[in-house]
Amino acid sequence: MNRVLNVARMQLINKWTFLGIPAIIMASAFLITLAIWALIPETGETKYAGSGQAVMWYFLALGIQSLTLTFPFSQAMSVSRRTFYLGTLGLFAVVALATSVIYYVLGLVETATGGWGMNGQMYALGWIAAEPGPVQILFYFISMITLFMIGFWFATVYKRWQATGMLVAGIGTAAVLLGIVALITWQGRWPQVGQWFAAQTPQTVAGWAALFCAVLAAGSYLTLRRATP
Amino acid sequence: MNRPLHTEPEAPVIELRSVCKRFKDTTALDSVSLSLAGNRIYGLLGRNGAGKTTLMSVLTGQGFHSSGEVRVLGGSPYENDSVLNRICFIRESQKYPDDFTPLQAFKSAALFFRHWDADFALQLAGEFQLPLKRRIKKLSRGQLSAVGVVIGLASRAEITFFDEPYLGLDAVARQIFYDRLVQDFSDYPRTIILSSHLIDEVANLLEHVILIDRGRIVLDDDAEAIRGSAVTVTGAASKVEPFVAGLTVLHRETLASLASVTVEAGLTEAQRSEAADLGLEIAPVSLQQLVVRKTLAAAEEFSANAAATEMEVSR
Repeated sequence: MNRVLNVARMQLINKWTFLGIPAIIMASAFLITLAIWALIPETGETKYAGSGQAVMWYFLALGIQSLTLTFPFSQAMSVSRRTFYLGTLGLFAVVALATSVIYYVLGLVETATGGWGMNGQMYALGWIAAEPGPVQILFYFISMITLFMIGFWFATVYKRWQATGMLVAGIGTAAVLLGIVALITWQGRWPQVGQWFAAQTPQTVAGWAALFCAVLAAGSYLTLRRATP
Repeated sequence: MNRPLHTEPEAPVIELRSVCKRFKDTTALDSVSLSLAGNRIYGLLGRNGAGKTTLMSVLTGQGFHSSGEVRVLGGSPYENDSVLNRICFIRESQKYPDDFTPLQAFKSAALFFRHWDADFALQLAGEFQLPLKRRIKKLSRGQLSAVGVVIGLASRAEITFFDEPYLGLDAVARQIFYDRLVQDFSDYPRTIILSSHLIDEVANLLEHVILIDRGRIVLDDDAEAIRGSAVTVTGAASKVEPFVAGLTVLHRETLASLASVTVEAGLTEAQRSEAADLGLEIAPVSLQQLVVRKTLAAAEEFSANAAATEMEVSR
């Protein structure tokens, strides 16, 4: 347990990677969006921006980086793969939770200030903002974990099987998705699929994403178990 | 702060039984069996691709073996934190987290190696003139090697592996490494396994030599015993040849009527005086020479066997 915590501390030795850079991304995305809104003439309509999610994509990159560079180093630090896995995912979960709470709070401020005084929507996005606080936080949290896990899993595949693995995983994923689309088309089920998507709420989306994450987490662990630095 | 010995002397700290490691088209480790006692300095010698790094990876749980049994400090090292936290292995091509500085790498090491000596690490870094606050990815090859050497030495792990630690280090830095290694080893006895190409340079440090070639252990003996195990006999060919008849010849060189034959044998007093009577010169063989000769002899045997197998097959 102590070594798991130490893995998290090791990841935080360089404050920039997990804390500094995400903070800069969030702050700059926010300020740039405000500047753009200020330039757009006021028409009374709501201004939307997706820039709030910028930091989430950084976490995808972080998932890749923590495996390609930090994993070989952790091996030199005589850390087992299991300990590295638990420490890294644990730290990431804490960071993702903190970021989710910040998102929620910023959403509240956004609503209270009439969209930063400019009728804008960056954090309190309509579909989610109507939900109770804990649901919003859970939704952001799961979204970030999903992106991190996708990056982490692809990186483990790369670490073990190099370019061949990436190619097989990439083509395999595309083939499965194509197969599903083909099946739906062939069965003429698109209306039902459309209804199903329309019926989804943030809770159910979070639930599906959590399930997806669990599969990726298990897959990453099993792949990492046999990876070499 | 003198700590007690980490382990009882002479208790085996590493045991390998018929360990094989097969890659797609090569056998990196071919039925390797070894038993290494603690608190000694081992030299792991062999050519590029002989299996040195593979062996060290298997011993530290960083790599996998295909079959056989590996025991390090009484347990299997793979995914075993209670064994891993007592060993240290910095790879020759060690990767560090992006943007890490040597100082940050040392801080990490302090988290995981319980005998870590931070003052010693800083002292070593100073001696290697390592820029502590420059990003590791911007360091030269020699400085990169120095980071690994500092971590390996200052970790004071019960078993420390150095994989070609001197790459890119200049002669002065290499001498500092050898001096500090010997000094710190005598203050804090532990097991050191050093893989090296520069055999002459490390020959005096080594207490035990393991020579590996094509994944097979060719030599596994005390350095002291090895030093006396081969001699070169030089003199008139007509007198050298009868003298070495029946001995294991490792190498033969002739120049006109002169012959110089390296034989694997510790000569008896009688043999030595006989040689003196014949006017033959007996010279000791350096460890490097012996390693080269043994490796080449093993290669010859290997290709002879391969040719024989091929003939069997073609028949």
